Amino acid sequence: MPEILALLIAPDWVRSLTGERRPNDFWAEYIVWPLIQIVIVLFIVLTVVAYLVYLERKVSAFIQARLGPMRVGPWGLLQPAADGLKLLLKEDIIPIKADRLVFSIAPIISVVATLVVLAVIPWGAAWATIANVNIGLLFVLAVSSVSVLGLVLAGWSSNSKYSLLGALRSSAQMVSYEVGMGLSIIGALIFARTLSLSGIVEAQRADGLPYFLFQPLGFLIYLISALGETNRAPFDLPEAESELVAGYHTEYSGFRWALFFMAEYTAMLVTSAVAVTLFLGGWYFPGLDWIRSNWGQTVYVLLSVAAFAAKIGALIYAYMWFRWTWPRYRYDQLMELGWKWLIPAGLVNVVLTAIWYVLALPEAQGGVFGFVKQTAGRYVPTGAGKIYFILTGFIITIPLSWALLATINRRSRDFNLHDQRQLQIKLRSERIKRNEPVAE
Amino acid sequence: MQEEITKPRETLLDAEEMVLNMGPQHPSTHGVLRVLLKLDGETVIDLDCDIGFLHRGVEKIAEQDTYAMITPYWDRLDYVAAVSGDLCYVEGVEKLLQVEVPRRAEYLRVILTELQRIASHLLWLGTHAIDIGAVTVLLYCFREREEILKIFEDFIGARLTAHAFRIGGLWWDVYPEFETRVRDFLKIFPDRITEYETLLNTNRIWLSRTVGIGVLPAEEAINLSLTGPVLRGSGVNYDVRKAQPYSAYADFDFEVPLGENGDTYDRYLIRMEEMRQSIRIIEQALDGLPEGPVMAKVPKVIKPPAGEVYHSIEAPKGELGVYLVSDGTGKPYRMRIRPPAYINLQSLKRMAIGHLVADVVAIIGTIDIVLGEVDR
Amino acid sequence: MAAVTTTKQKRSIGQIIKRLLLLDLIEGLFLTFKYNVRALYEPREGGNPNQAIYTEQYPLERPRVSERFRGAPRLNLDPENGSTLCIACDLCALACPVDCIEVGSIRREVRDGEKVNKKKVLTTFIFDTSRCMFCNLCSEACPTDCLELTQSFELAVYHRSGFRWDREMLEKGINYVRYTK
Repeated sequence: MPEILALLIAPDWVRSLTGERRPNDFWAEYIVWPLIQIVIVLFIVLTVVAYLVYLERKVSAFIQARLGPMRVGPWGLLQPAADGLKLLLKEDIIPIKADRLVFSIAPIISVVATLVVLAVIPWGAAWATIANVNIGLLFVLAVSSVSVLGLVLAGWSSNSKYSLLGALRSSAQMVSYEVGMGLSIIGALIFARTLSLSGIVEAQRADGLPYFLFQPLGFLIYLISALGETNRAPFDLPEAESELVAGYHTEYSGFRWALFFMAEYTAMLVTSAVAVTLFLGGWYFPGLDWIRSNWGQTVYVLLSVAAFAAKIGALIYAYMWFRWTWPRYRYDQLMELGWKWLIPAGLVNVVLTAIWYVLALPEAQGGVFGFVKQTAGRYVPTGAGKIYFILTGFIITIPLSWALLATINRRSRDFNLHDQRQLQIKLRSERIKRNEPVAE
Repeated sequence: MQEEITKPRETLLDAEEMVLNMGPQHPSTHGVLRVLLKLDGETVIDLDCDIGFLHRGVEKIAEQDTYAMITPYWDRLDYVAAVSGDLCYVEGVEKLLQVEVPRRAEYLRVILTELQRIASHLLWLGTHAIDIGAVTVLLYCFREREEILKIFEDFIGARLTAHAFRIGGLWWDVYPEFETRVRDFLKIFPDRITEYETLLNTNRIWLSRTVGIGVLPAEEAINLSLTGPVLRGSGVNYDVRKAQPYSAYADFDFEVPLGENGDTYDRYLIRMEEMRQSIRIIEQALDGLPEGPVMAKVPKVIKPPAGEVYHSIEAPKGELGVYLVSDGTGKPYRMRIRPPAYINLQSLKRMAIGHLVADVVAIIGTIDIVLGEVDR
Repeated sequence: MAAVTTTKQKRSIGQIIKRLLLLDLIEGLFLTFKYNVRALYEPREGGNPNQAIYTEQYPLERPRVSERFRGAPRLNLDPENGSTLCIACDLCALACPVDCIEVGSIRREVRDGEKVNKKKVLTTFIFDTSRCMFCNLCSEACPTDCLELTQSFELAVYHRSGFRWDREMLEKGINYVRYTK
């Protein structure tokens, strides 16, 4: 789509910086401007991540009828600075038999994998995206999966039985919930018809409604999967303090631990950003076009960035809100939720959305209702089409998929894990008493 | 017993078993409790408790201290519910001395003990919830517990290890704002219990973590000589306040909640209901508080006649009992404490085998142990 | 007896809809959100359970300690002539469960008109606050209201010898730096 490519042209002042030296736009377009963007985004995101820790402490404190950090700076605002300084100055401890190289590299892999994703996220309109990749969403999913590698390496190289077990559990959980995440976004893609993240935002702008109205089930599945992917409550058993296996980052201290922490909060930020882009309309809000025509390009872009930040902020607040309200699931319940409920629900969502979409196509393409019209190379739902999609999304898809899954999982609901295990233990001990080989 | 667990078996063709040490320093063992778990993957197939890290020799100390000097030591057994501990011992000595405590003192004792029961259950709820992951409930419970401790501080002089009762009654009578403070607290408290229930009672995550976990059939509970909410959760109706009324409990009208399934969720519901029943008792006691002295005529040096007595009360954790043998001098010949937490802890093995590791933490929480009482 | 039932009943339609709409999870969320919002606008008064924030910021806001609070010990002086009220009867040391009091005295001749009495006069009084469990038995045993446990609870010292309080310290009170910030 030519409009989208046109949106990413570097602003004039950047070109004027290099225009005198080089006659063509290459330097301005591809080297100087992206560098400036990268520096700004990294700087802002890393500071925001540090302050997300502060925000979490404050939010948790207010929920729990207490105050949170108050002493360092007014209202405790310098607390992240104090924490960062402390972590930098801490002694660098590597366990004795640990694999030194891998031990040092593991947190770096985690952090870098999550930070690379920031390049394709549409932070705002026009020039507020670093790179507009055609397969942006696929890129996001693929690169954020690499952070699991950092996790496993950390657990393995710590040379501790508990770290290894914790790492395996965390990584198994993350991988399971990634499948759910991938399936849940396909529904939104059916409407957007493009994998490019900026394109999805443009699609929501063209369609006029954010996609969570069309895809409530997809949004719900995505949210839950994001909670599971980032190891946040109620799915944070692998890293909970009251657990025996203390998690993959037990042996880490000082700045390496800070890197893992940053990786976790950046992952939170990234999954929120993807959720906002896909389901909540990205940087677009209804008055934005009017602002562009009246107040100029710069204000337009800055306001779009602010809108995006506000939406991400709401989702991140939701993450923290969930963590401090609900207890946590046990590991097997967590995996059961991921595999037996979210993934089938994702599949059902895809099938049903596809059915509604095909039914809504115009007669010429084989549809029935004609609720979408072809406009400028895309299918845009009409007014009646929007209501149709909203209704089918909320009233038919959710109850139908829930009923389907409840029926399928009914057989395992009466499956009493405890009784089964008791039986197993009893049989096993009997076999041992009779001195028979225990393995089947 | 420990060697049984840690020694690997010879015919171990499938080397899946692992011995995990939930060490004395652990956020969820509610004190210095060491639990050795033999795991098959993540299922517990055997379990052993190693206690004694907090043993302070209280029963031996009691043989060389006078009766009045022993009372402060009882606060430090179950330090979460200190006033109940005091009540048990002081009533035991009064039984030995055959001293009659004035009615006003008995009513005040009941008020303080029921407030302490609420405080102990609040702490139990907070720690149980945070073990399962709901952190906010801990902070809310501590806020209410703080109110109770403030009332204690104004009345008795100390918050946690309050040397509340003396042999023969109480040392101090009420302070002027006592009744208003307690009634204010009772006014706000039922709403707070509703808050905790909103957060936990129907929450599907809480239900899936506690329903069906740690089931104990009634017959096994009786065989293990359990008492308290653990026993009542399995459906056995035994509450010392009703079975053998002590102090002024016979005057009050309250109900004893019973469970049906004997799982963790039932015990949770029982303790929540017990808090509400305690509110009832306190209100009745405040309404009917008689006038009179608060201390009976007890000699300065307490020398009970030779004999022995066993007295038990319904502490928040179970039946707390004291067995005193006196030989006529000012120091007891033998004082034996029946610690409910120690005896209830024996059910951990029966309840936890077959469950997953994450459930062991929930089960330890539901038994409600305090290591000061387990180890004495 | 009140029975608390938890048997798995067939869920009614209302309960099924509640579970579908995740209402059980959402009502917990509403509660915590209410606390969060109240914490932002309510004026803060530490220690009030009806406020959204219960924190009392120590050491800026010191807790109100009750009159009967059992804190640091003190030997009271006679308000008229400033002499000690202690008659060195040793009852407090006998009553203490942890043996943290040592009372030293001498017998001195005192002229009382024409009679000469040998009265016990207090010389040293050592109170080891590291062993003390603040149970009040000593204060209750004292016949002259001399030994009293006051409301001072900030008893930290920098060295273990600072825990053994002699008579002078007991009469004057502990001398510590009062942090206000």
